[in-house]
Amino acid sequence: MAMNEKLGNRLKERRGELGLTQGELAEICLVSRKTVNTVENGIFVPSTLLALKLAQALNVPVEQLFWIER
Amino acid sequence: MSYRPRPTFDQPTAESVQRTRRASIWIIPALILQQTTLIFGLHGDEFSQFLQAICWTALNIAELWWLLGLPFRWLSERDQAILNDEWSRSVSGDAARWGIATAALVGCAMMIARIWLRLDSGVAIFALVNSTLLVAAARSWWLDRGEPDGDE
Repeated sequence: MAMNEKLGNRLKERRGELGLTQGELAEICLVSRKTVNTVENGIFVPSTLLALKLAQALNVPVEQLFWIER
Repeated sequence: MSYRPRPTFDQPTAESVQRTRRASIWIIPALILQQTTLIFGLHGDEFSQFLQAICWTALNIAELWWLLGLPFRWLSERDQAILNDEWSRSVSGDAARWGIATAALVGCAMMIARIWLRLDSGVAIFALVNSTLLVAAARSWWLDRGEPDGDE
């Protein structure tokens, strides 16, 4: 990913639609709440595995959850 | 035969740098061995050098075991997953790199300093280990500080 590119996500929005807290989502994906928090806030870029797990947990295709922002 | 154009053939990519970083893990034992041999080489009798080398190696193994996030087998599967999740590994991995870099730099500084100064091996070990641990702990704390925009 180039320096001016960023991973955008609608994790928070989708999580809100399903009424899940960060902790509950973290529990489903077997990660810490901090991981979910940092991914949501664009601090941490998740691995493909975690991105797929998050998409699966939130019941949306991964490309609807993450995209490249330029 | 390569199908890539020659001008870009040898240019490093993010992936190739990452691959090199992952493959450079063998440097860690080499670094420890180098530091141990060089720092303990000149001072003390054979027995004390042997004891110091054992202590130094044990400490480094414990430190690396902790920093590199190797599994704690007595924890439950869930606790292990939390402990070794992506953020934790990212933080501990980065802190470990800073710690290793500090060990290398302080070791080099000591090697140069002993040209002019007579270094006490005990003080040298203390300074090397503690500077490494301090830098690693500080980096870990810095990366892991605060949680923005929490919902709980």
